[in-house]
Amino acid sequence: MILLDVKNLTLEMEIAGSWIKALDKVNLVVNQGQIHALVGESGSGKSLIVKAIVGALPSHWRITADRMTWRGKNLLTMSLKNRRKLIRNDISVVFQNPINSLDPLLTLGDQLKEMIPNTKLTKRWFWAKNMQRQEIAISLLHKVGIKNHELCLKSYPHQIASNVIQKFMIAMAVASEPELIIADNPTKGMEVTTKTQILNLLNRINQVREMSILFVSHDLLAISSMASYMTVLYCGQTVESGDLRQLRKRAFHPYTKALLDSAPSFRKDLPAKSALTSLEGTIPTLHHLPTGCRLGPRCPRARRECVVMPVSRRVHNHYYSCHFPIHRDSK
Amino acid sequence: MVNILLRYTNLIIITLFILSLLSFSLAYLFPGNPIEVLTGLKLEELQKLQNQSANIAYKPEGSVLSQYGHYMSELFSGNWGVSFNSGQPLYEEIMLSLPASIELSAYALTLSLLVGLPLGFLAALRHHRATDYTLLSISVVGYSIPVFWLALILILVFSLQFGWLPLSGRLSLIFEVPSNTGFVLLDILLADIEDKPSVFLDAFRHLILPTLSIAIVTTTLILRITRRSVIETLNSEFIQAAYARGLTTRQVLMRHGIRNALVPILPLLAMQFPTLLTNAMIVETIFSWPGIGNWLIQAIYQQDYSAIRAGMLAVSVFVVIFTMSIDMFLRLTDPKRKKIERGTI
Amino acid sequence: MARFNLYQEEQHPSPLQYTWLEFQKNHIAMGGLVCLMLFILITIFCPLLAPFEPNLQKTGNILVPPSWDPNGGISHIFGTDGLGRDILSRVLYGCRMTFGISILLVVFALLIGVGLGATAGMSKGFRSSFVNHTLDSIQAIPTILIAIIIIAILGTGLVNSMWAIALALIPQFVHQTRDFVRRELSKEYVMAARLDGASKIQLFVRSILPNMGETLVMQATLALSIAILDISALGFLNLGAQTPSSELGALLSQGIEVVYIAPWNIALPGGALFLMVVSVNIVGDGLRSALRNRLLH
Repeated sequence: MILLDVKNLTLEMEIAGSWIKALDKVNLVVNQGQIHALVGESGSGKSLIVKAIVGALPSHWRITADRMTWRGKNLLTMSLKNRRKLIRNDISVVFQNPINSLDPLLTLGDQLKEMIPNTKLTKRWFWAKNMQRQEIAISLLHKVGIKNHELCLKSYPHQIASNVIQKFMIAMAVASEPELIIADNPTKGMEVTTKTQILNLLNRINQVREMSILFVSHDLLAISSMASYMTVLYCGQTVESGDLRQLRKRAFHPYTKALLDSAPSFRKDLPAKSALTSLEGTIPTLHHLPTGCRLGPRCPRARRECVVMPVSRRVHNHYYSCHFPIHRDSK
Repeated sequence: MVNILLRYTNLIIITLFILSLLSFSLAYLFPGNPIEVLTGLKLEELQKLQNQSANIAYKPEGSVLSQYGHYMSELFSGNWGVSFNSGQPLYEEIMLSLPASIELSAYALTLSLLVGLPLGFLAALRHHRATDYTLLSISVVGYSIPVFWLALILILVFSLQFGWLPLSGRLSLIFEVPSNTGFVLLDILLADIEDKPSVFLDAFRHLILPTLSIAIVTTTLILRITRRSVIETLNSEFIQAAYARGLTTRQVLMRHGIRNALVPILPLLAMQFPTLLTNAMIVETIFSWPGIGNWLIQAIYQQDYSAIRAGMLAVSVFVVIFTMSIDMFLRLTDPKRKKIERGTI
Repeated sequence: MARFNLYQEEQHPSPLQYTWLEFQKNHIAMGGLVCLMLFILITIFCPLLAPFEPNLQKTGNILVPPSWDPNGGISHIFGTDGLGRDILSRVLYGCRMTFGISILLVVFALLIGVGLGATAGMSKGFRSSFVNHTLDSIQAIPTILIAIIIIAILGTGLVNSMWAIALALIPQFVHQTRDFVRRELSKEYVMAARLDGASKIQLFVRSILPNMGETLVMQATLALSIAILDISALGFLNLGAQTPSSELGALLSQGIEVVYIAPWNIALPGGALFLMVVSVNIVGDGLRSALRNRLLH
């Protein structure tokens, strides 16, 4: 079943007097129970998509989309109040800077309890409710693998180690028992061991509680270890999306191919001491975005047609937007 | 916690020590004989006094250190010397005029906070909209007005042109209120006099113009500080995150916004306190308000050096203790326990 | 900047240019800047602009109203005061005096403050904390009190009041510099310079100072408005500039004597003072928001 369906999401922001399309016709479909990876280089607009979904963007930016629905309900036309309510119940976000996204003046316990919905409380009286909140908070912490719950609940955000706080963020996200958890680069700047812990935790949440996860990252290794479906983003455009295994086997879009090739662990046939392949050039700045396919100037297969934005095409369950896809030259 | 308390107590004591040294050295810096400045008595009078009673022992011939020790012990016993001009004990004069100043500043500050804080929040919540721009423009105008000019214009308009409000002073001469606390409104409430409401109203009418002239400038300052802080808080990541977690706008503001915005405001407000006092002192002279500012400036005009010495010590001690206590309070209540940064308005 | 350029070369304005571009977009701030320029011109070319000598007394023309009044004349556009002196000339000379002195004071305070702040910021331990606490106490004491003490020691007069105001202005600069230096010292580029063997002075002059320019200018505008207000306040209280002087605050206090019959004696100098402070503040505000916008992108 389709949970989140985003079609042609465009986000324009004003920088130095001109409107720039930071996101250009992004498509994204998240199914129930799925771990969906959203991949892109830093600055490709991953976090913007996340913020657009949960509605945490500055109000003076322009957001347009053909479709942005949650279980068939249109998020864009919904009133702000209803949207917040829906997000509170159904979607949770794990942010990339855990410390910055927590209120510095409240204890972690207060903030975690704030996220426990009233509907989960069975007790009638005020103090009993508070007791129950505390119990739920402790059990949540245990579930994400924080053993010293007392210390954690009493501390302020800046007093806690970064790996613990990321687990805490996951606990906060799980607290409202959402159907979708959006993990925005949750393993950013972490050591390998803690990263594995976090990834395992997310994986377990996905399997045990059947929550879908939108895993936003640029870490291909982490993605390949857990995700089943992947959407690739380049400069605010979705270039390709499809089943992860299929993508790895046969990437249609040159960028996806370059991305996968750039990670040595994906290439078993890599001869010793050979140069890693990479695309020429750099990501364009926001002020100089190319027209049409934004990969154009860097693409090895670019031709004249590439200045026109390619439409998204579909082969089975595999979408790509490219005029001249790899493996499909015969067409 | 104890650490911070100790640190601040230590700091206050050191600062007070420096201030006392300063006030003592003023005796040598001011023109005239140091002993005259310290006591407020002329030399001949002193000698007469010394002959009469044994317990007044000024030791002009002792070393500077013993003089300082003696000066301090006299200070603590409440003997601050007498005024050159009036011959009154300085301690009593200051204890009459300092509360008057504090009263005026307190009313002005309260008024400014009551108006400035909500308006600042309003401007920040309406950031980039007409309300914000209007409030911001008004505030720039407001805090650019020289306070003495503003006071003069208020007098011109409300006292001379329309005659609505009294021109100067603290209370009409027909009323007499015994001074208990030094705060005139409190005194009236406490005093046992006839026709209390009309006396109170009279005092209140006297208060309006001086309070307004100080409060207008202070309000605009508070408005600007609040606005900036709220805008910065609302733009911070955790507020965005709170929205993204699905809290309503009200919940976000009440639970996370206001608290976090107020924390950086308070130290900045404390820093505005000297400015407030400066303005109050200027306004006092214009309205002939019997406060410490007016008293000190009269002392300058009359070259009453012993009065300046004692007045300077009283005001600076008051200011230092006040600001440092606020600083300490903020440090103690701030969970981040970080050193308070000095921000911009 | 999205503007037309033929070549696919990226043009990035330098930080200074960027600040200026941001500043230009703010029309009110530009207005303030023009106004400020006007005051600077007045300060420099005052003798050429003023129609009369500021202290020239015309006994026949006492308390002439300004020219827009039915009784006013064209020869004295702003009217005359109780001694028959032309108010326009006095206000012009007053602007020159108040504004010029304030600028001098700010420059003086800036130099001393940055020097002290740099020393306090670069050094650690007792020296730094001593400077810190001394300045904190000075900053906590109202300016007017410092002025009263200095004037009591040295006697009334413009120069003595200037010392007092300079003393009151310095702590802000010290704080600003010290905090800035502390912040920058922990950054990598300073560390790199230090590893290259730069001495403390080189570190400050070459690495830190260039980054501090704009913050200092901003702080200077703030200090300028405070200096103007303080100078005129002391002049008004007869503690600073003395009576025959045409300093704006002193002008105001002279105007009080005739305020009942000639309110323009108060309104005009005060208006000039107000305009001066407003333009300084607007420019300062514009600069601050321009800097903020630049740092945002």
